[in-house]
Amino acid sequence: MIVLTEINRAEALRYLGAGKVELNESMEALMNSCERDILKAVSPKYLYKKIPLENSGLLIGNSINEHLKNCGEAVLMCATIGAEVDKLIRSASVTDMAKAVVIDAFASAAAEQVCEKAEKLIKEENPDKYFTWRFSPGYSDYPIELQEKFLNILDAPRKIGLCVNESSLLTPTKSVTAIIGVSDKPLEKKRRGCAGCNLRKTCQYRKSGERCEV
Amino acid sequence: MKFNELMKNDFILLDGATGTMLQKSGLKLGEIPETLNITRPETVIDIHKQYIESGTQILTTNTFGANSYKMKNSGYTVQELIGAAVKNARSAAGDKALVALEIGPIGQLLEPAGSLSFDEAYEYFKEEILAGQDTDIIFFETFTDLLELKAGVLAAKENSDKPVVASMTFEKNGRTFAGVSVASAAITLEGLGVCALGVNCSLGPDELAPIVKEFTEWTSLPIFVKPNAGLPDPNSNTYNVTAEDFAESMDKITDYGTVKLVGGCCGTTPDYIKALKKVIDNKNYKKASPKKDTAVCSATTAVEINQPRIIGERINPTGKKLFKEALINNDIDYILSQAISQIKAGADILDVNVGLPEIDEKDMMVRVIKALQSVVDVPLQIDSTKPDVLEAALRVYNGKPIINSVNGEEKSLNAVLPLVKKYGATVIGLTLDEDGIPKTAEGRFNIAKRIVERANKLGIPSKDVYIDCLTLTVSAEQPACKETLKALHRVKTELGCKTCLGVSNISFGLPNRELINHIFLTMALEEGLDLPIINPNDELMTGAVRAYKVLADIDKNSKNFIESYNEIKTEKPKIVSSHISLTDAIINGLKSEAASLTEKALESKDAMEIVNGELIPALDKVGADFESNKIFLPQLIQSANVAQSCFEVIKKHLSKNDNTPVSKGKIILATVKGDIHDIGKNIVKVLLDNYGYTVVDLGRDVAPKVIVKTAIDMDIKLIGLSALMTTTLKSMEDTIALARKTPELINPDGSSKVIFFVGGAVLTEDYAKKIGADYYCKDAKESVDTAKKVFDN
Repeated sequence: MIVLTEINRAEALRYLGAGKVELNESMEALMNSCERDILKAVSPKYLYKKIPLENSGLLIGNSINEHLKNCGEAVLMCATIGAEVDKLIRSASVTDMAKAVVIDAFASAAAEQVCEKAEKLIKEENPDKYFTWRFSPGYSDYPIELQEKFLNILDAPRKIGLCVNESSLLTPTKSVTAIIGVSDKPLEKKRRGCAGCNLRKTCQYRKSGERCEV
Repeated sequence: MKFNELMKNDFILLDGATGTMLQKSGLKLGEIPETLNITRPETVIDIHKQYIESGTQILTTNTFGANSYKMKNSGYTVQELIGAAVKNARSAAGDKALVALEIGPIGQLLEPAGSLSFDEAYEYFKEEILAGQDTDIIFFETFTDLLELKAGVLAAKENSDKPVVASMTFEKNGRTFAGVSVASAAITLEGLGVCALGVNCSLGPDELAPIVKEFTEWTSLPIFVKPNAGLPDPNSNTYNVTAEDFAESMDKITDYGTVKLVGGCCGTTPDYIKALKKVIDNKNYKKASPKKDTAVCSATTAVEINQPRIIGERINPTGKKLFKEALINNDIDYILSQAISQIKAGADILDVNVGLPEIDEKDMMVRVIKALQSVVDVPLQIDSTKPDVLEAALRVYNGKPIINSVNGEEKSLNAVLPLVKKYGATVIGLTLDEDGIPKTAEGRFNIAKRIVERANKLGIPSKDVYIDCLTLTVSAEQPACKETLKALHRVKTELGCKTCLGVSNISFGLPNRELINHIFLTMALEEGLDLPIINPNDELMTGAVRAYKVLADIDKNSKNFIESYNEIKTEKPKIVSSHISLTDAIINGLKSEAASLTEKALESKDAMEIVNGELIPALDKVGADFESNKIFLPQLIQSANVAQSCFEVIKKHLSKNDNTPVSKGKIILATVKGDIHDIGKNIVKVLLDNYGYTVVDLGRDVAPKVIVKTAIDMDIKLIGLSALMTTTLKSMEDTIALARKTPELINPDGSSKVIFFVGGAVLTEDYAKKIGADYYCKDAKESVDTAKKVFDN
């Protein structure tokens, strides 16, 4: 079980585009109250499963084949911080949109933290293996529609209440699916780049010369 | 053997897991378990037979996911899969066991968490139920969303005459993934007329025990319990409770009483059922009666009417100009904000009335109920004079609501009570009939009695009828007040019903109304009033109820009273200076200061002068700071919110002076079909609102035809669409395409009447052009610029 005790505030601020902005007192207060609210609402859950890649039907497109080159197996994973957070965002959207935006960013940061913790656990349980970074459906040419297959293999709707709608959006919304390549031998160090990202044309980070580093 | 006869037994032994057994017999990764009904029927029959040999009295079909959504890639139809599954179960069961049609969740979340509608869910279930007609009973299992389960139960009730059993899956904290509480599940499902209800999956028997115990407090129906064989090991997928330990724990659970249908879920095998059989063979069924009083609930929160509970009356257009305007403009957020403020003030339940001649009440009622239950937790009271409006709301309501109301008129009794029964609601009974309101307490008591008798005849218990003895205006009929209170007292003591009263009518026409209202409320509470219908924002009224609960020894140790008046103050930014300008207040996010500065300014200045001379320039400054990265998004929005409070002041001022409110133009906003990420759209809304535009917010997951229809009906020429994902850009394109070919939206010269601006994370300028949008807006600020350009202001 994963418990979050704090939210990565620097990350949340970056999502809000506040990398270079100095927070005034009222923003600081808003941040504090939003962090308290979100910690009360999150219910982090994750699932993973190690599967052989051969005949998995998951190697669709160039980018995933490139990514999982030299990997015989992969870990499929999914994570969510639960439906209560969506309700919190909806309710804040009615009463105070500034709050809703901040909670939304905190929630994204929280989902990312859950993934990181899950990934850490996965690696601990497979001490003699080597891993690629997390690759998600929707990234580059890897079809987002595969999310449904991921969730089915993981039995996610039943086990953690994580579903996908007909437009391949995950519900609850603050959720992630990903695949991590597993190998017995060291893998070439690669990093996530902007080239394969679907948001490269509109990305606010790129415009300001930064990287999103997710 | 029929199910009803089987129910006369002390216990009914169900089967164990099907999935676990299928995995053991070599189910491949990604293989769909339901297809085995057709591809390997002998495997399925063999599993069924093993359970029969272990003593199972009701077999469940291998159809957990056999709905057309989950089976879309299986290569088989629902009819084929369920048909084969039923045949397999029947052939194994022979005359040794009954066969239950097993129905699991659809696999997609319903609104508001997901985008599946109640009606779509209903259709999926209906298809399964019709395909499984050759079964004896229907089992709904492993549900986490109460509304989805309600859609299933209604589909079963309306399309078959089989008994229905409904079971949900809870986590250790006593809630489902969707936040449903045990109490809400129990009272809602009992109301819907299932023959047994309970819990299965997710936890082992020891972890489920407290949840089962809680069920026994809320329902008198037989309880269904199918725990997992403990908790799974994530790697080996084996479970940690042995058959013997499982049976021992179930022995304790069956001691609680009311537990009658027992079996196993994930990880359990025929051995577990055998062990369980030994336990129940040696004991007798105990019927326990639930401890709890009548209650209403939302999906998450049950409110037991065992003490005075406040029903908030503010969601009602009667006599409220702004509320009427909100209804006409589809401003659901205004209604939601009314709801939230009442809850903050202390309302336990909210009355919902949206009756207005200018609008489609049924459509609006459903939209408001859906919107309310997406943000608030309190139970709702559905208030309408029209039975079709009541029924539409009852269908989509997630929980057990109150219906407001039925009265002693034959027409009303015949129209409303069957709805109360069918949907398992509670109802307010008004003590009036064809002859009007009786003057005497005796007359009103008699009508109350008649309403209760008629309700009982349909199977509605007296405790679920809340009688309103009607408040009359004391300035017009002074003796009437005592009659009302006398009738209330008799109803409470002689009929065993709960009572309610709309309170504020009493003081009409008198000065110092608050004082009269407040004393009358106190008198009524002392006579046994359970449900005062009041404005909870009126501190004196809410305070009277709180104080009464202390003095009547209900609020133990004055706990709630102290909490209500000892609230921890939230962190507030220090005010820099008391002499600030309106512009500074907006820039610094000082809401109450800005509002009072606006009020002051209105004393000497014209409204438009304030808007154009101060509010808009201040917003422009904030917008410019945002663009140059001096401030970030929440600050921009906070300033916009402050400006909004200024606009509110101006709007109120103008509507008081009967001027039309300032609007710079009407704009439709919507997040397109299939997309449920609406935060971007909401940000745009706040900004447009605060630049003085009237925004018609259609929400998220909005079908193209709804957008087009709204544009026609409300004569709106600017439409903003938002989509987050590449998968939903198609809906954006469809919406624009539909508008372009809709004759009502085309000018005589062939040009389009409507202008589209679009935005969203994956959109680009090029793509926006490609799909026929007029403007691409990279952020909320650009949306405002676009609106200015379009409306030339």
